[in-house]
Amino acid sequence: MSDQNLPAIYAKDLIKSYGSFRALKGIDLQVHSGEIFGFLGPNGAGKTTAIRCMLDMIRRDSGAIEIFGKDPQIDSVAVRDLCGYLPGELRLDENASVKSILNYLRRLRQGGNDCSENILQLASRLDLSLESKIKNLSKGNKQKLGIIAAFMHNPKLLLLDEPTSGLDPLVQQTVLELVKEAKQSGATIFFSSHVLAEVQSVADRVAIIKNGEIVEVGVTSSLLSKRSWRAKIKFGSDDSGRKAMIEALKDTKVLKVSDDGRIYDIGIEGDVDSFIKCIAAFEVDYLEINKPNLEEIFLSYYGDYNS
Amino acid sequence: MNNVLTIAFYSLRRSFWIILGWGIPLMLLGIITIPFYDLVAENEKQLRPVLNTLKPLLKSFIGGDEAEQVFTPEGFIALRYFAFLPVVMGIFGSVYGSGLLAGDEEKGILDFLMAHPISRAQMFWGRLVAFFISLTFIIGLGWLGLWLGVLKAESMIFSPLKLILPYISVFAVTWLFACLSLAFSMVMPSRSAAAMFSGIIVLAGYIITTLSKAIKGLEAWALFSPITYFQGNAMVGLELDLLMKLLIASSLFIFFARRGFGSRDIRVAGDGGWKIPLLDPR
Repeated sequence: MSDQNLPAIYAKDLIKSYGSFRALKGIDLQVHSGEIFGFLGPNGAGKTTAIRCMLDMIRRDSGAIEIFGKDPQIDSVAVRDLCGYLPGELRLDENASVKSILNYLRRLRQGGNDCSENILQLASRLDLSLESKIKNLSKGNKQKLGIIAAFMHNPKLLLLDEPTSGLDPLVQQTVLELVKEAKQSGATIFFSSHVLAEVQSVADRVAIIKNGEIVEVGVTSSLLSKRSWRAKIKFGSDDSGRKAMIEALKDTKVLKVSDDGRIYDIGIEGDVDSFIKCIAAFEVDYLEINKPNLEEIFLSYYGDYNS
Repeated sequence: MNNVLTIAFYSLRRSFWIILGWGIPLMLLGIITIPFYDLVAENEKQLRPVLNTLKPLLKSFIGGDEAEQVFTPEGFIALRYFAFLPVVMGIFGSVYGSGLLAGDEEKGILDFLMAHPISRAQMFWGRLVAFFISLTFIIGLGWLGLWLGVLKAESMIFSPLKLILPYISVFAVTWLFACLSLAFSMVMPSRSAAAMFSGIIVLAGYIITTLSKAIKGLEAWALFSPITYFQGNAMVGLELDLLMKLLIASSLFIFFARRGFGSRDIRVAGDGGWKIPLLDPR
């Protein structure tokens, strides 16, 4: 099988524990080569643990994991050579300069002139001075350095843990552009983020991880489209009869009614046509119908967590 | 190999101030201490009776039966200069060795570095090579200070090569404690715990070795103290078997440390991997 046909990331029944705490409870995951894959979950869900298993920084208890067909535990150097990694919390030698750190990392990658040129280009796009000392950098600027280190060698697989964390909105946009450009040049991007809107805007597929288990995985667009419509409607006057009429509609459910009986939250599975025709018989002050976004889907899995 | 050298070179650059911070005081110690021999030699007649009246336990702390050698140039250097050096350098080795990998690991720096195409073996050997070179520089500065001190003392004539012999032993003891501490840091829950345990062994070893010169019951225990194998008087002849014992023990600790680093998780702060299993409340 050629590299292009191999999944970029393949995990089967991946289990990892810290002492008696099981951080990953048998993860099954397949990330296709060339796609942008969003990995969602709150702190402690197991995102970073999964990424660190992929780079052989931590050793799995059981299960299998492969990066482009290579087992990180057996061929860690080859796997790391294919990857660019941005950790969720980037820590660096505070007394070094940006330039010396990047040169060090470039040498570790045996990177030549292309790598040096990439560093300069990326630093220019991200507006980062290479002469600064790490200890003088803000969190955002340190993050920029991490992004340069991850992208500088044009890796086949980018593992980005919260890539836009600490960045201002303009730089966030630049980073998302870099992600899209990397995809266009054939790279696979696996990234976790708390900013679900940005995952929704760039990810081809997403997985949601909860308490060390993957609870949802799929194409971002179909994940959104298969969800029911949500309608919020405010009627002009009180009329107890209309609730029964709406509930009588097929695939329609009244989720919530305000105390004064005028404002309804309604869930609609499938077609909205019959619902629109039904409420046309009443006086309507306000109507809002939409599909849930990724954030709402995410929160639906994390109801317990948020409460 | 290329990566080992890259890692070693970068680590060495980071150690620049450590080398100066330890090397210069060590150099000054030699320059300041050694010329005092002229005073000791001048006052030998007055000092010798005082030495003879000391009780054995007290005398053990200034060399025991060998205390009277302080009146010879070699003895003075061994007893007044090199007597405390294994303790000082042992503490240095313990602190440095424990931080060789676990220091950056606790800071989260190692996590980022290890995401690059380097093996754990390369990281391990690169850091160890850097420490070896750093220690060589520190020892070199100490030796330079000792030589300058000897040049300053009017009643001492030694070749620089002869002065290096006890420093070879200092190197071996420091190396041993660094390797021990490195091995501890691979299995203990934190870098500070590793440094502390290694430091305790330095001090306990020094006390046991010293007291064993006065208390016969401690002689068997002193065999387990690395300080026992230190040769502060190596200017009169370096015993290679003692040196080899230190180096063999160091190699064993390196072996265990390498195995530990190769087989365990790279930890980061807050990762949850720092708890001692039996004491972990989870």
